[in-house]
Amino acid sequence: MKPFFFGTAERRLFGIYEPAAAGTPSRRAAILCYPWGSEYLHAHRVLRQLALKLSDAGFHTLRFDYYGTGDSGGDPTDVEFTGLEADLEAAIEELAEITGLTKVTLIGLRLGGTIAASVASRRRRQIDALVLWDPVVSGAEYLSQLGADGDARPPIEVQGFPLTEALLQWLGGLNPNMLTSNCHPHTLVLITQRLNSHVVLMEPAEAASDKPLIEFLADTRPWLEDSVLHGTGPLLVVQRILNWLE
Amino acid sequence: MNREITEQVYLLGQRRSLVAILTRSCAIASNRNPAVVILNTGIVHRVGHHRMYVALSRQLARIGFNVLRFDLSGIGDSEPRTEGLSPLDSSLADIQEVLDWLEQERGTSQVVLIGLCSGADHAILHSHGDPRVVALVLMDPSIPTTARFYAQYILQRATRLRSYVSVAIGRSSLVRLWIRDILHGRKECADMRPSSLENLRFHDYLKQSYRNVINNGVQILAVFTGDTLRQTYREQMLDAFPDIVFGDRLKLEFFEGTDHVFTSQADRARLFEIILAWICSLNGSMDVRPPASEGNSLSPASSAS
Repeated sequence: MKPFFFGTAERRLFGIYEPAAAGTPSRRAAILCYPWGSEYLHAHRVLRQLALKLSDAGFHTLRFDYYGTGDSGGDPTDVEFTGLEADLEAAIEELAEITGLTKVTLIGLRLGGTIAASVASRRRRQIDALVLWDPVVSGAEYLSQLGADGDARPPIEVQGFPLTEALLQWLGGLNPNMLTSNCHPHTLVLITQRLNSHVVLMEPAEAASDKPLIEFLADTRPWLEDSVLHGTGPLLVVQRILNWLE
Repeated sequence: MNREITEQVYLLGQRRSLVAILTRSCAIASNRNPAVVILNTGIVHRVGHHRMYVALSRQLARIGFNVLRFDLSGIGDSEPRTEGLSPLDSSLADIQEVLDWLEQERGTSQVVLIGLCSGADHAILHSHGDPRVVALVLMDPSIPTTARFYAQYILQRATRLRSYVSVAIGRSSLVRLWIRDILHGRKECADMRPSSLENLRFHDYLKQSYRNVINNGVQILAVFTGDTLRQTYREQMLDAFPDIVFGDRLKLEFFEGTDHVFTSQADRARLFEIILAWICSLNGSMDVRPPASEGNSLSPASSAS
């Protein structure tokens, strides 16, 4: 395990690199994309465990905090979607530099999945696979789940975190078609919670040439506090990710 | 004062397995005393609920303090210990090793420990045996219940129909707490260190720890919220330990209506203001004062050491 800061002087990011376990056969790289807000806090432990399992399976992994989140520089009010995407792109470059590998797998949970899908659609050559774990595909649905008042004037406070006007505006325009219209050809979408938006997600636009593999698994949701305090880990999801990537 | 700060990552402890972030002012010597060490709250990693410990670290660094936040073994990014220690002994051993590192590698001989909930309990239990700890910021630490606690609790809920329903169907938190108090109160509590923080408030060891800390001249800022089943009024700590003379070594703050993890940004802002002002007041010789306004300058220095 190597914790470190990377990025630019103006946009310092905190990451933890886990090298592939010694003696593992494959040499692949994966970046884990965290959720946002309280979902990030609750899911941190499970994504660390996933990183360790990926390491055992031969992946070099990088987990990192977006600017304005976790241990990275910046304030929560600095968080906006283009910045989140830029941070993931910086992480891709960083991991490529560390490992010398030209391709990387992106694994994103909740809003991290949304960010990963967006970046993967633009960087197809660099991304060899994409795993979206309960990605956020509807801004209105997401805000409702967070308990946010969608009609409130920004900046609003959601579970102790400020939701900036920029992020709120971006969420307002988010819809399932954005995820499926230009989907990475090697995409697995794992759903543990059936929402209205997922119905749309499972019916990609006819124009879409690449359709993601979408699966429903009845498993725990580690981004929720109750799940962290009282539930077991999402064993099915983690195992499915490992099997699919193999 | 130059408000620019820097943050560096370290792997600490005998096994170099404790992930820690040191935040400090670029304008202040790295061995400045006292340093501030922030402990985990429950199983939440070092950034704290709502990222409050990152914000607090940076605010303290901007007024000249070196601040270390780290993950205890088995929490966040730190590896669990393997030598079979109890959870409490493991955590206290981690704190000891981190303070040893600060002293040996950074020349820091005085430390302020900050903790919320379990972090506060870890802080008080470690401090009474470590002369390097000169001050404590304890947020919602474990303290025994008192007669006034029960009276206040009942008074607060007497007008709620739901409270009577809960009692009637046997789901009242108060009744369960009261039963636990009776059961534990009848036990002979050992003065040895317990193996976990569970039911810590029933242990004489807790009272002894507070007594030792006060006798050692440690200053305490105790901040309580009104959102737990553990305290309902500001002076409960004094009533719970009537034979400890806290004197001016204890400053009490009570956040009525605030939840246990300070979810509201306004509550956190008020909390930070109190903590910063109190820490600045600890040593009259310190040339540190709360900044008039907060900047966001973070120098590029980094690396895992």
